[in-house]
Amino acid sequence: MNKEKKVYEMLDKVYDPELDQPLTELGFIDHIVIKEAQVEVVFRLPTYWCSPNFAYIMAEDIRKYVSEIEWVKEVKVNLLDHCASDEINQGTAEGKRFSESFSGLADGDLDELRRTFQIKAFYGRQEKFIKHLLSDGMSKKDITALSLEELHELDLSTEGQVLRDKYLEKKEALNHSSLVAITTPEEEALTEEELADYLLGAKRTRLSMEFNGIYCRGLLEARYNLPSINKVLQ
Amino acid sequence: MYKTASGEEIFVIDAHIALWDGSKENQLNIQGDQFISCFYDYHKNLSPEEYLWEKEKFLKYDPETLVNDVIVKGYADMAIFQPVYLREFYKNGFGDFDANEAIAKQYQNRFICNGTFDPRHGNRGLEELEKMKEKYNWQGVKLYTADWVGDSKGYKLSEPGAQRYLEKCQQLGIKNIHIHKGPTVTPLNRDAFDVADIDDAASSFPELNFIVEHVGLPRLEDFCWIATQEKNVYGGLAVAISFLHTRPRYFAEIISELLYWMDEDRILFGSDYAIWEPKWLIEKFVDFELPEDIQQETRVTFDLNVKKKILGENAARLYNIDIEAQKEKLNKCQLVSHNA
Repeated sequence: MNKEKKVYEMLDKVYDPELDQPLTELGFIDHIVIKEAQVEVVFRLPTYWCSPNFAYIMAEDIRKYVSEIEWVKEVKVNLLDHCASDEINQGTAEGKRFSESFSGLADGDLDELRRTFQIKAFYGRQEKFIKHLLSDGMSKKDITALSLEELHELDLSTEGQVLRDKYLEKKEALNHSSLVAITTPEEEALTEEELADYLLGAKRTRLSMEFNGIYCRGLLEARYNLPSINKVLQ
Repeated sequence: MYKTASGEEIFVIDAHIALWDGSKENQLNIQGDQFISCFYDYHKNLSPEEYLWEKEKFLKYDPETLVNDVIVKGYADMAIFQPVYLREFYKNGFGDFDANEAIAKQYQNRFICNGTFDPRHGNRGLEELEKMKEKYNWQGVKLYTADWVGDSKGYKLSEPGAQRYLEKCQQLGIKNIHIHKGPTVTPLNRDAFDVADIDDAASSFPELNFIVEHVGLPRLEDFCWIATQEKNVYGGLAVAISFLHTRPRYFAEIISELLYWMDEDRILFGSDYAIWEPKWLIEKFVDFELPEDIQQETRVTFDLNVKKKILGENAARLYNIDIEAQKEKLNKCQLVSHNA
């Protein structure tokens, strides 16, 4: 496979944790430079002020995933036009932890923050998937009783399969071990009666991520004069 | 005053406007440039084309432009200034209390001038707050939690320092606390947009009203959660309402979520002028109806009565404005508003 294509394929795995969307889709990757075994990934964000912690997570993940390619010996991450560009670029280059890069300004690392947003992404993906099952005619009772094995065997449309895979990815990220397919992020089972209220809460999280996604994309377009997806979809 | 096609009058209070100076001459550093540029990107991305400003005008506009856009063209009977300091980024600060005050003096009964404070200014700031209350008779303050002070990149309302300031507000009768959550709050490894500290403050100070600007965006879900718990938490619609032009369906989802989780008495209209002009926001807001599927799902009411509350009545209640009496006073005002 072409080297550039391979790097982009790995970058597809890097998500903006607040938006639960890949950087490649969001337009956050400005460009990449490949010099033999060295890869430089240049990325940009919608504003100068985007939270440094989320930017750091993205930078760390870029480095982590691109480093997995077997011919890659060195990865340089270069965040442009950001209030903490220097700290983030140097920090990730040296493989520092967040608390070292921002010493005095942080009281720990990013694991908790990562987990908080894994949970939000879990809610968002799960809500979409359950809504899909409901519109497919599955009852609330059957949904809450579904085992993991049955979930894998469900006969789903292409869209349904994508939603299932995305949901399962988040279950895995949260290290779920329960054999029940549809649970809370803490792996508690849900009853048929509880499901409606639970879904309302999950929908709130999903919507919030979607609005933020639209805002971020719009600001990125305005900042870098990119073609507007807002106007196209209007 | 906005008049509907059927002749009904809507009293409008724009609860979030500003007169700022983001000019090159006033910028101290790259942060000053980037701050106003970010505002401009919001403006550029979501305004209808006929309402787009040149960057130069956006950096600094004069009081006449503001009065014309907000009161004369913009239907607002009244508007509330929500200033911020940003003294690390701008030589004379971004907002200017005296400039706001001068407009309010010139156009009597039209403007409410809120103030601001920063809890990191310690005892000196507390004394200053008292003096300001005496000088300007502040009814409310706008807090920007991501403002920088020295090495600090922001604060939370749950910090002891902030609690002292809120106590002082309660003593002085500064009842309306408008909060804008921003991105860089220490410790930097936590979610700076998290609104949990407002939950804390709202339950510790039940006599104060906490108006969360931009309805907590980007944490709308967390905001809805605290607003259901704390009855003295309100939502300012600025920023969210701007979806009305490019993404009306998203606006429908936001407003129906808010009406579902809180209620129609705790949502306040704000344009965030000069980021957006109130004229188009109000026109689209009044005309807007929820798509049927969203209405079916949430079962909320979004009729003219609700719109009137959001556009003016709710803010009037927070600021002790008797709308009928105010209309009388404004009859004598030299500014004749567009649709009156």
